[in-house]
Amino acid sequence: MIARVGDVVIGVTREVGGIGVLMLQVLRALLPWPSMDARELWRNLYRMGVKSLPIILATAFFSGAILVVQSGIFVRRFGAEGLLGWATGYSTFREIGPILIALMFSGRVGSNNTAELGTMTITEQIDGLRALAIDPIRYLIVPRVTAMMVMLFALTVFGDFVAILGGALLGQVVVGVDTSVFWHSLFSNLGTWDLVHGLVKSVFFGLVISLTSCYFGISVRGGAVGVGRAVNASVVASAIGIMVTDCLLTLLMK
Amino acid sequence: MIRFSRVSKAFRDPLLVDVDLDIESGAIWGLIGPGAGGKSVLLKIAAGLMRPDAGRVEIAGRDITGDDETALAQTRERIGMLFQNNALFDFMTVLDNVAFPLRRRGVADDEAEARAEKRLRAVGLAGSEHKMPSELSGGMQKRVGLARASVADPEVVIYDEPTAGLDPVTTSKIYDLLREDHEASKPTTIVVSSDVDALLSFAPRVALLEGGVLRYDGDAAAIAESDDAVVRQFVTGSLEGPL
Amino acid sequence: MSRTRDIRSADSPPAPPASAPDPQRVALLLRPPLLVGAAALGGARVARGIASLFAGTLLRAINRQSERGAVAEQMFNIGNRSLFFVAVTLGFIALVSVFQVCLQLNRVTGDLSKVGLELIKLMVHESAPSLTAMMLATRVGAGIAAEIGSMVVTEQVDALRMSGVDPVSYLILPRFLACLLMTPVLAVFAFGVALGSGTAMAYVAFGVNPSIFVDFSAVTAADVGIGVVKCFCFGAAIPVVSGYCGLTTFGGSEGVGAATTRAVINASLAVLALDLLLTVAGFMLFPPSAA
Repeated sequence: MIARVGDVVIGVTREVGGIGVLMLQVLRALLPWPSMDARELWRNLYRMGVKSLPIILATAFFSGAILVVQSGIFVRRFGAEGLLGWATGYSTFREIGPILIALMFSGRVGSNNTAELGTMTITEQIDGLRALAIDPIRYLIVPRVTAMMVMLFALTVFGDFVAILGGALLGQVVVGVDTSVFWHSLFSNLGTWDLVHGLVKSVFFGLVISLTSCYFGISVRGGAVGVGRAVNASVVASAIGIMVTDCLLTLLMK
Repeated sequence: MIRFSRVSKAFRDPLLVDVDLDIESGAIWGLIGPGAGGKSVLLKIAAGLMRPDAGRVEIAGRDITGDDETALAQTRERIGMLFQNNALFDFMTVLDNVAFPLRRRGVADDEAEARAEKRLRAVGLAGSEHKMPSELSGGMQKRVGLARASVADPEVVIYDEPTAGLDPVTTSKIYDLLREDHEASKPTTIVVSSDVDALLSFAPRVALLEGGVLRYDGDAAAIAESDDAVVRQFVTGSLEGPL
Repeated sequence: MSRTRDIRSADSPPAPPASAPDPQRVALLLRPPLLVGAAALGGARVARGIASLFAGTLLRAINRQSERGAVAEQMFNIGNRSLFFVAVTLGFIALVSVFQVCLQLNRVTGDLSKVGLELIKLMVHESAPSLTAMMLATRVGAGIAAEIGSMVVTEQVDALRMSGVDPVSYLILPRFLACLLMTPVLAVFAFGVALGSGTAMAYVAFGVNPSIFVDFSAVTAADVGIGVVKCFCFGAAIPVVSGYCGLTTFGGSEGVGAATTRAVINASLAVLALDLLLTVAGFMLFPPSAA
């Protein structure tokens, strides 16, 4: 048992260290002048962002709808219907929206990314790039990290909006709170800071997901089976990374 | 006996087009052709793993065209198959792999193990019974696959690329094993291989499938003199011709 | 399949008469509705496939076509794989939720004595089951799809069928039963971890006494009932959805990666959709009364 805990600790430390080193390499690749392959960047922005939109919007709608019904239970019990919009908006903007969207983004984009980079690694395409004197970090990793940070931010903006719409809709239909009351409660109690708080988080979540998925992708060992294992490990590590980052950022930003 | 009448199958693109076949019981029948020519699909239909879109399929005198999964499963019990990449169960020992089809057919545990051990000895794998498949070399894995395909005395055995990726000596040994198996109980035998020369010397009758169409079906010895330029070119490996 | 065909026909329509509008422009206009239509068709096909797999699994469960040893092995796998993961994620979520709620309440009323009471009630009927299930959809769903998917692409599933084995009884049913039984267990465990970390946060950051924070008096039988029903529904959905994704894998080792991704996404969406359905149903069946 103690040996197992020790193994886990050593394993986690090694992965976190590897991800940290990758982050430094990405930063160094951005010096002295941030430049990257524009085609690779556009390709990634499109397939990571635009293609994830339907799933993210569905997730956002569900989470907003669930939240409003859950808040509805409190609202009914305390007879405080004027607080429904505030409660839904507060939890959506600050926590549930960014976290759930990041989890789905990690499941779709992060795992795809690990699989793609992993396949490139085991088929020696990364060595092929090196042989052509192309820095794989600059050419492959930097555009992906950039694209994921930008797109997770953008998707969270859309997602927050749809989640609130879903909340307003279910608030009217299920909880029986009129949408005008909902909007009034939302706009009069929440400030820009609540929205920004969540959006700042989403950028950091994008960084965590991208670095984790790239790290697990380029460190694949052991053929096709290894790729499957890496995808699995990457999704799990990203989810843990999201939760830990969320906790740290919440404590820092208040 | 296996009979295909005007069998067609498509998945996006046509894979088999109006294939007619007639393989009598106990025959050895070889199938060759370029990659993606429809060979694997034909094998899967003959094994009862896949249903055709159109046409009739008879296996061992039984028309399986309209059969549901349960009836197909009963037909499959009379067929043994060696898969292209062996498809050994990687979570079982070698012995359990070979005994598995027997146990699933209701053979008692002891007897199943005894018969599996006998089969493993016959393919030259005595002593490897308790290893996992991943501990074996490619040629040894192939032998385990062979042992598993024919352990339940099937009426039909299907071999998908029995010698792919093996060196010439191992290839000859594998074909010797196939020949011994056939001598022992005379099952109807279908072999697909990209190693055309070895197959032509093993199977008295061969067919060539190209683009889902059966281009040749007849004597192995006469294939090089076929009227069809595609068949001639494929068999001789010439660079000049329609392919 | 139908999807590609639809798009292709939009790209290259049959030669139009000279007076017809520019075919390229027509194709561009047609594309979004076609894409939506194709997506809906694809979604309907997947839903039908999942529903028939679910029905088939239930039928085999009733006929008891599963070995007990296999179920126990899968239960161990599921628990072993996800215990650490669920503990970490749920622990951190509880920390953050308690922090955010207390922060906001401090600004509004300053009364933090009811935070534990209400959060515990919420955890029982909502957070513990649904968040545990979201995590299981990621961890266990991905594992099931990867295992079964790699068996499909290495033809081991076909080899099973040639050996007279029904892949659904042999591969899906034990995972289904194991997940069904383990989800409630893990949800209870997650509840314990979350309660611990939430109590700690309330005490350390806001000075709420644990004896006041840990208060089960608001939890009703209906809360427990809804929580348990949710656990079983999620526990049934995750293995069936991800098993379907695994069984429909095609195209080599890259196909396994794609199947894993699909499993995580589809299982998570299934959990969210079921959660919404059950939450609304719970709200209708047990309307909250004024405290």
